Amino acid sequence: MRRQLRSRRAPAFPYGYRYRLDDQDEVNQNYLADEEEEAEEEARVMVVHDLEEEEEEEEKEEEEKEEEEGQGQPTSNALWQKLQTVNEYLWDPEKRMSLARTGQSWSLILVIYFFFYASLAAVITLCMYTLFLTISPYMPTFTERVKPPGVMIRPFAHSLNFNFNVSEPDTWQHYVISLNGFLQGYNDSLQEEMNVDCPPGQYFIQDGNEDEDKKACQFKRSFLKNCSGLEDPTFGYSTGQPCILLKMNRIVGFRPELGDPVKVSCKVQRGDENDIRSINYYPESASFDLRYYPYYGKLTHVNYTSPLVAMHFTDVVKNQAVPVQCQLKGKGIINDVINDRFVGRVIFTLNIET
Amino acid sequence: MAQKTPEIYSVELSGTEDVGKTDTGDGKEKYRGLKDKRLELKKNHQKEELKKEVDLEDHKLSIKELERKYGTNIVTGLSSTQAAELLARNGPNALTPPKETPEIVKFLKQMVGGFSILLWIGAILCWIAYGIQYFNDKSSSLDSVYLGCVLALVVILTGIFAYYQEAKSTNIMASFSKMIPQQALVIRDSEKKTIPADIRLLSTQGCKVDNSSLTGESEPQSRSCEFTHDNPLETKNIGFYSTTCLEGTATGMVINTGDRTIIGQIASLASGVGHEKTPIAIEIEHFVHIVAGVAVSIGILFFIIAVSMKYYVLDSIIFLIGIIVANVPEGLLATVTVTLSLTAKRMAKKNCLVKNLEAVETLGSTSIICSDKTGTLTQNRMTVAHLWFDNQIFVADTSEDHSNQVFDQSSGTWASLSKIITLCNRAEFRPGQESVPIMKKVVVGDASETALLKFSEVILGDVMEIRKRNRKVAEIPFNSTNKFQLSIHETDDPSDKRFLMVMKGAPERVLEKCSTIMVNGQEQPLDDSTAEAFHTAYMELGGLGERVLGFCHLYLPADKFPETYSFDVDTVNFPTSNLCFVGLLSMIDPPRSTVPDAVTKCRSAGIKVIMVTGDHPITAKAIAKSVGIISANSETVEDIAKRLNIPVEQVSKRDAKAAVVTGMELKDMSPEQLDELLTDYSEIVFARTSPQQKLIIVEGCQRQDAVVAVTGDGVNDSPALKKADIGIAMGIAGSDAAKNAADMVLLDDNFASIVTGVEEGRLIFDNLKKTIAYTLTKNIAELCPFLIYIIAGLPLPIGTITILFIDLGTDIIPSIALAYEKAESDIMNRKPRHKKKDRLVNAPLAIYSYLHIGLMQALGAFVVYFTVYAQEGFRPSALINLRVEWEKDSVNDLEDSYGQEWTQYQRKYLEWTGYTAFFVGIMIQQIADLIIRKTRRNSIFQQGLFRNKVIWVGIASQIIIALILSYGLGSVSALNFTMLRPQYWFVAVPHAILIWVYDEVRKLFIRLYPGSWWDKNMYY
Repeated sequence: MRRQLRSRRAPAFPYGYRYRLDDQDEVNQNYLADEEEEAEEEARVMVVHDLEEEEEEEEKEEEEKEEEEGQGQPTSNALWQKLQTVNEYLWDPEKRMSLARTGQSWSLILVIYFFFYASLAAVITLCMYTLFLTISPYMPTFTERVKPPGVMIRPFAHSLNFNFNVSEPDTWQHYVISLNGFLQGYNDSLQEEMNVDCPPGQYFIQDGNEDEDKKACQFKRSFLKNCSGLEDPTFGYSTGQPCILLKMNRIVGFRPELGDPVKVSCKVQRGDENDIRSINYYPESASFDLRYYPYYGKLTHVNYTSPLVAMHFTDVVKNQAVPVQCQLKGKGIINDVINDRFVGRVIFTLNIET
Repeated sequence: MAQKTPEIYSVELSGTEDVGKTDTGDGKEKYRGLKDKRLELKKNHQKEELKKEVDLEDHKLSIKELERKYGTNIVTGLSSTQAAELLARNGPNALTPPKETPEIVKFLKQMVGGFSILLWIGAILCWIAYGIQYFNDKSSSLDSVYLGCVLALVVILTGIFAYYQEAKSTNIMASFSKMIPQQALVIRDSEKKTIPADIRLLSTQGCKVDNSSLTGESEPQSRSCEFTHDNPLETKNIGFYSTTCLEGTATGMVINTGDRTIIGQIASLASGVGHEKTPIAIEIEHFVHIVAGVAVSIGILFFIIAVSMKYYVLDSIIFLIGIIVANVPEGLLATVTVTLSLTAKRMAKKNCLVKNLEAVETLGSTSIICSDKTGTLTQNRMTVAHLWFDNQIFVADTSEDHSNQVFDQSSGTWASLSKIITLCNRAEFRPGQESVPIMKKVVVGDASETALLKFSEVILGDVMEIRKRNRKVAEIPFNSTNKFQLSIHETDDPSDKRFLMVMKGAPERVLEKCSTIMVNGQEQPLDDSTAEAFHTAYMELGGLGERVLGFCHLYLPADKFPETYSFDVDTVNFPTSNLCFVGLLSMIDPPRSTVPDAVTKCRSAGIKVIMVTGDHPITAKAIAKSVGIISANSETVEDIAKRLNIPVEQVSKRDAKAAVVTGMELKDMSPEQLDELLTDYSEIVFARTSPQQKLIIVEGCQRQDAVVAVTGDGVNDSPALKKADIGIAMGIAGSDAAKNAADMVLLDDNFASIVTGVEEGRLIFDNLKKTIAYTLTKNIAELCPFLIYIIAGLPLPIGTITILFIDLGTDIIPSIALAYEKAESDIMNRKPRHKKKDRLVNAPLAIYSYLHIGLMQALGAFVVYFTVYAQEGFRPSALINLRVEWEKDSVNDLEDSYGQEWTQYQRKYLEWTGYTAFFVGIMIQQIADLIIRKTRRNSIFQQGLFRNKVIWVGIASQIIIALILSYGLGSVSALNFTMLRPQYWFVAVPHAILIWVYDEVRKLFIRLYPGSWWDKNMYY
């Protein structure tokens, strides 16, 4: 290590500095100095191991430094000069310039850019302000993109595959927790307290100013009967008869066709039609009652509760993946968009092991 | 030469047996072939070796020494076995054609040049990203694979396009060279003969050769067996390959063949000279470096930011690709190519044929033109320039058509002189050219006689008819010992039975033979004062670099020479002294009439014009003065010395603006001295230069950081043409070697076309600046979405594919349209740009495009984006940090600002609508950008909004392409375009107007305060 170092060090001095001296002498002196150092070092090595490592690191650094200096040698003078020019460009002490500009010039630039960007910011603020002026906070300007409504199910955790083993509660416990959590907002007491009981079979239209708060219709948890979790706190998962809740995406101003509420119907998507055998829907009409429409937007329709339809798969084939497709049916409902598999329908698989 | 082995071969070749050589006419030449066998020089020494002066000693040797050297006999030649052996060793007597780059290499270069590497990296990153995705989840989407393929496709397509453009311009050149018949063939069919190899002449008979293809000298030179000069190019006993023998016969011994001939050496010198990168190529490289640097550094910076913001590495890679794609102006290099080829076409219409597309701009940045004299500055034909009679010098019209001869033709002396000129002339028009203008008619005869014939034809009318009326009875042709030509004619006056003897020749010889002189039609005795006048006139005309001829006549007394007298030219049974001197006539190869004007234009455009010629210094200087290369009021050191009557050494060099330097002087100069010469004098003429010296001069100029254009026509010019930043060859007079070496060919051989070229070149540089500024601007608008997306987590405002549609779709035609923009001011009144200081893409351009207009554009596009999202339900505040939920495939009931719930596909569709909106926002503002880029300093209204119609075509194309993409292809989901509501097209219009107003203000301040801080920082 040392010897290598020495041999590198010798040509590493910039010529014209040491080379003018008696070379041989210089080298000898170095050599001697190194010898002494080496001896000292060896002594230390015996005592402290860690220190040696440090020393080595230092040596490496030294080496690197020297290599860098070595690049300043005539062989790579061009690079050295380039570095110097760059350095001078970054900071020229003579003209007190950085990046070829004086301090004054820099401050001028900063000021100008400050004003320029400040006015740009003002422009964009103005634009945004105008934008907000033209947009109602209560009603979205357009709703075509979000129509027709999409469909989603609960419980939902990342995946639409319901795989669980009836005899192992761990495999289905999270569904139960998820459903319980979801249905907290539907608790009868809460609903009765917050919302009104409005007449079924007709729209719950509330005229009046846009900015007036709107009342919401009750959708009580008890409407879901066996799937409410009130009677069976495991929502049927413990018996291999899982409940799955279906909700239609909210769309401001969406109204199903009058007298023809949106219905839900499920069937096996691919395979034997009879794999499901029987489904119980709650509410029994398997539909979203008209009184829950229209939706007036979250700003005014604060307590709006999305209606649900629960599907109770009471006798689904066990130990086998059953793909199920639940579709909305009704006028103005589209459920066969190829690209969007959640518009008007939802597909999930049930794989219940016993 | 010392390396030569004694093995030689000799072939008996008679003219008819030679390859492709037909022996017709009087220029017959017999020679004995014999090959020199110089050992091939080692490659690494070759260039050094070639730079030296032509190295040939054979002309100094006696015939015996030659025989010994080549081991041959001048009578019997070499044995056929020796001949075959040597043929095998040295190859056939032909020049090796220059090497061509293989097409596939050219193609591959296009594939990896410029931004292609960056895009390839992007494509590969895409595939790697997919690989990782696929490894983790087998069902992952193929989006990134498609993107990678699209990127690769873009690279390949632009590569193919650029290659096609290059190939097309090369093809123009190829077809062009086919169009012009090979010059050598034409000469063979007439009475001239090409010399087949370098030969040492052994015996000659009135042999004259035209060395113009080698030395550029247009005058025929006589050849003899004597060794007359150390320099092989000057000596008289060597005939060179490819030069033509005009008259006489000669026998010689072949000393060099094929590539080893002088011309072959020059040709290989030319191919040995490396081609420098063109200035525009350097500029584009510089630009690519800047953009690639910005792309890579922003890419890596945000990669690090993304990773430290806990994004997946995979996602970060995708961001990186997006940033690269947004930053790289994919279409720009193709646009530049198109722009250059458009200009090339425009220049071709103006008779400048560009071989190498990039040379289009080079001419614009040219700061020194090294021009050959013969054929470029001059008409390359001898023409009568001055007349002297009646003690007066008259100026003849030397313009191309001679139409305006204004000198006094009423004097009786002129009548006599014109008769001599007409009669004492052997030159004749070729028959069958009645419809051809006089100056274009083909003449059989040497250059001086041709000049005289045409001169008299123009002034007097049908010369042939006059000659018929004055039948020639005897004639002594010109030869170099007599130095005069004489003929005796019957007169056309029926009452005058005398014979008229007319004579022309070297003035001093002619004067010797005269005892009287004609003044105002009257014969007067020739006294000292008239002789003095003659000498003054002779010196004056000679000093103009003109070739002077004297004319005299004598009416032979009818009593001594009756009509039946039989003249015998061998015994000379008639008087040849005591003649009557009539006048002098001087000829010169006159400058083209357009040249002085062109030189002045070059001057005002800050271009230094240097004359480099093989001709005599006096002639060179005279022509230089007449075309303005040496301006009227500037003097050389010698002129000052002469005027002040002091020795040359005492003249202060600072007083002289002009310099005439001969090849001999140049030979002794060190490079430093040459540099000094080139910087000290603004008007320089190099005379008597060799091809190697031309090369040295060009290199000297290039050391001054000048962009050097070289014009030339001869083979001797080809090394310099190649070395020059732009070589300009003459299309009509130029040799193939010159055309091959050149980057540009002047189809009409007119120096003035260069000025047009310079103008076009400067314009294209300015316009390329505009194009690049236009193209760079939107990069920020494309880049910001990615940055905001990463930092603020908005749904992605613009997709990678959409960006490609801007770069390669809507922006292409507008950026080309800028190439049609007219100049803002008189670009011919400013200095040529400095190669290293005036960059194509400078800091103000990049900063103004990126940080001013680019940012404004980005803001405008964001407003459109936010408008679309807000009107659909997502207010800007809701968008922040929405990215994760937004992009989750499993979330199908994402709530917006109104409580509505969105499925994944509905969001995706909205995202694409956002892309389309952002795209339209950029497109609308790019229209404003296009309009502001029309000018850099002037107001749009000064430039004229409608002067460049192509701009409007560009704008229309932008709008139409965008409409097609949105409404036509909106249903194709792979393209990520949707049908945008009509009102969104107008959201960005106020921003577009703002951009335009801002730029007008910028330009206004630049015009109001030239040289101010604003001007320095905001003018690009």
